[in-house]
Amino acid sequence: MKDISKDVFTYIIGGKAGEGINKAGDAASNLFSKEFKRNVFNIIDYQSLIRGGHNFSVVSTSTRDLASHYMKADLIINLDERSLNKHKDHLAKDGLMINNSDKIEEEGGVGLPFSGTAKDYSRPNLILGVSGIAVLTSILGLDKEQMKGFVEKEYSRGAKENVEFAEKIYDMSKEKKLWKKFELDYGENTGPVVSGNESISLGAASAGLDMYIGYPMTPASSILHFFARHVDDLQVMTVHPESEIAVANLAIGGTITGARTMVGTSGGGMALMEEAFSLAGMAESPVLFIVSSRPGPSTGVPTYTEQGDLNFALHQGHGEFPKIVSSPGSIEEAFYLSSEMLNLVWKFQTPGILLSEKHLSESGMTVDLDPESTSWAEPKKHDDGEYKRYLDTEDGVSPLLFPPSNEVIKWSSKEHDEKGISTERPEIITKMHDKRGRKMDAIVDHLKEINTVNYYGDGGPTIFTYGSTTMSVLEALKYGNIDATVVQPIYLKPFPVWELNDFEGKDVIAVEQSSIGQFATLLKDKINVKINNNIKKYDGRAFEPIPLAAKIKEVI
Amino acid sequence: MTDDLGTYAENTWCSGCGDFGIINAFKKAVKELEDKGVKRSNLIISSGIGCHAKIFDYINLSGMYSIHGREVVTIQGAKMANPNIKAIGFGGDGDTYGEGIAHLIYAAKRNEDVTLIVHNNGAYSLTTGQTSPTSKKGFKGPSTPGGSIERPLNPLAVILSAGATFVARGYSGKIKHLTDLIVKGVEHKGFSLIDVLQPCVTYNDTYDEYNEKVEILEKTADTVEEAIQMAKKTENLPIGIFYQSKEPVFHKQQLQDINLVEDRLDRDERLKRVKGILEG
Repeated sequence: MKDISKDVFTYIIGGKAGEGINKAGDAASNLFSKEFKRNVFNIIDYQSLIRGGHNFSVVSTSTRDLASHYMKADLIINLDERSLNKHKDHLAKDGLMINNSDKIEEEGGVGLPFSGTAKDYSRPNLILGVSGIAVLTSILGLDKEQMKGFVEKEYSRGAKENVEFAEKIYDMSKEKKLWKKFELDYGENTGPVVSGNESISLGAASAGLDMYIGYPMTPASSILHFFARHVDDLQVMTVHPESEIAVANLAIGGTITGARTMVGTSGGGMALMEEAFSLAGMAESPVLFIVSSRPGPSTGVPTYTEQGDLNFALHQGHGEFPKIVSSPGSIEEAFYLSSEMLNLVWKFQTPGILLSEKHLSESGMTVDLDPESTSWAEPKKHDDGEYKRYLDTEDGVSPLLFPPSNEVIKWSSKEHDEKGISTERPEIITKMHDKRGRKMDAIVDHLKEINTVNYYGDGGPTIFTYGSTTMSVLEALKYGNIDATVVQPIYLKPFPVWELNDFEGKDVIAVEQSSIGQFATLLKDKINVKINNNIKKYDGRAFEPIPLAAKIKEVI
Repeated sequence: MTDDLGTYAENTWCSGCGDFGIINAFKKAVKELEDKGVKRSNLIISSGIGCHAKIFDYINLSGMYSIHGREVVTIQGAKMANPNIKAIGFGGDGDTYGEGIAHLIYAAKRNEDVTLIVHNNGAYSLTTGQTSPTSKKGFKGPSTPGGSIERPLNPLAVILSAGATFVARGYSGKIKHLTDLIVKGVEHKGFSLIDVLQPCVTYNDTYDEYNEKVEILEKTADTVEEAIQMAKKTENLPIGIFYQSKEPVFHKQQLQDINLVEDRLDRDERLKRVKGILEG
């Protein structure tokens, strides 16, 4: 294996919840991306608790594109013993470990008294996270004024204390001869570090989102927080109501007055929204559902990752109606895809699901996003004359009209005639099933004209993957210098068989984060490929490139 | 006067059903509101599921035939998106006080400016007369053949405790009075609940009881506590506005006077703002 330390530099900081670990990861990411113009991929690993336990941030950085974090770390900062025990094996050859000497007996690393120094400040636990950036700036050779300016910007709340504390740690690390221990090349990155959930949110906002409604559920909650934080600048109304049932029904209510609405949750919340999902199918209400998965079933492992909700997403809703399910293969793609999905649900007036996972939603990477290339959600509109909400058209899509209007606009959960009045007449039931069914054909026709599958590389074995696992696979291939063709269906329903039927009967490898191989089964079912190997991981953690590369080499 | 508020849908309510009183009162209320300057094109209705919900098909107004218990959510979503509309929901006692009771409590807590009219007939009639949240103890239906062992819920007391700013009770047998309640409820700025005592001639015929016990309230209570005491009366059944207060409405507190659908930012403005966030 090649020496990755030259190519990728990885920083880990670990400690207890409440010690600013997540923020320390963000600050380090910004240091690499803004000061060093390098690309970044970060993850946060945290437990479902508020204080204590073990949290850690991993920030990998390179001058080249980076699609995953690496656990092999060049610099590890342990704020407590538990972090040391957990991460000492992650230390790369020639790597450096800095330990909080007030909590950890010396063991191989360099000790610095973080806790003792923090005692003098008003928030002695929370401020511990600032140690990370103080040590990091020193080790990377930033001068003191640069360091202070950076800390002031990153830790603006209580900046005075933060800067003073950072200065002490910075000085101590200099005394320990840590200054400029590592030199990093400068890169050419100009983009910000964005999380998957931010990317999804910004994409939907670009497409014209008017309302975001959510009930807190990890790993989707940060979408709710994002829109709430930006309600004044984006003018997207953000509502946190009594339950997921209310979430989905508020969103549907919003559509009847013409608002572009989106909701977000994880598997358990989606289970509660499923009733409304069917309502959206029958009433032809265009709502975009973001489902960000964590390991299930039930409460499962709330703050970790899995792709166990694929079948759940594909089969949402009782009854028969068209639906669209897609899953972005990168944080950048999430931006364009959420805008495209908002447009599609409006274009075809049916609910859609953007399927994400914790690993995509809550990881961050440097991105180069072009808002001009997003879609704009615009429905087919009624011109004038008598209005029929469910006008039977060739493609099944009825023009929309919103109040106020002198025409009566009736949406309905019940089977209805073209005017939206309930019916039990057999010929109308059949006709309306056919009308909605034709929308599915229209969706397929539309998807045939746009990109529904991503291909990476050429030659070598074929690897199928989807969602955030795409990033892991691409980074593993790069790390392992493996020639392979990666095929990533962006759309999962309707499944792009028109695009992929050349693979029929071919030997392929499927990589996914599922214990039962839901994606592999879908591939067999839809395009009749031969799954030679189904590489699965279902321990709540995303694939890491080094072990994944080894695994891929094993099976090819 | 021609009934231009009707539709071609065939009416399938039982002869003598209290729902007729409610639809008549509602249509009269719409005319009164129109006389007062409310545009019909701004009226949006929604219903839950059950006998009451057929009213959606029978009234020629825009809106959504929603699902069981969610009607009050549907209209809030519509109102949040376009505050210019007047949103009125119809629910049954099963919808509103059973399946959707969390939504009811939150509608009161949230004080979004919508009106909910509850057809409270004390039975699940469309599903063949099972016990409902407001059925009396001992109510016999196919799911409680030995008589319901649960005590009935007092919906007005619940909703008053939840902070509702307009709480009224009407009777489907007193159409003029009910018309007035509906007009006042729609005019109220904030969440308004109108619980309507409604006999079900097939499964819970309460005409005799209501005709005997219903009495028009002389005055609205000054405090929530007083209103709750009035709501708990059983020897007679007061109808009228139990309580009304003034609180800021939800959408105004969220986005001041911005109307999400009428003041939409155009594509260029959107992109400018998204870029602003990306550039930090």
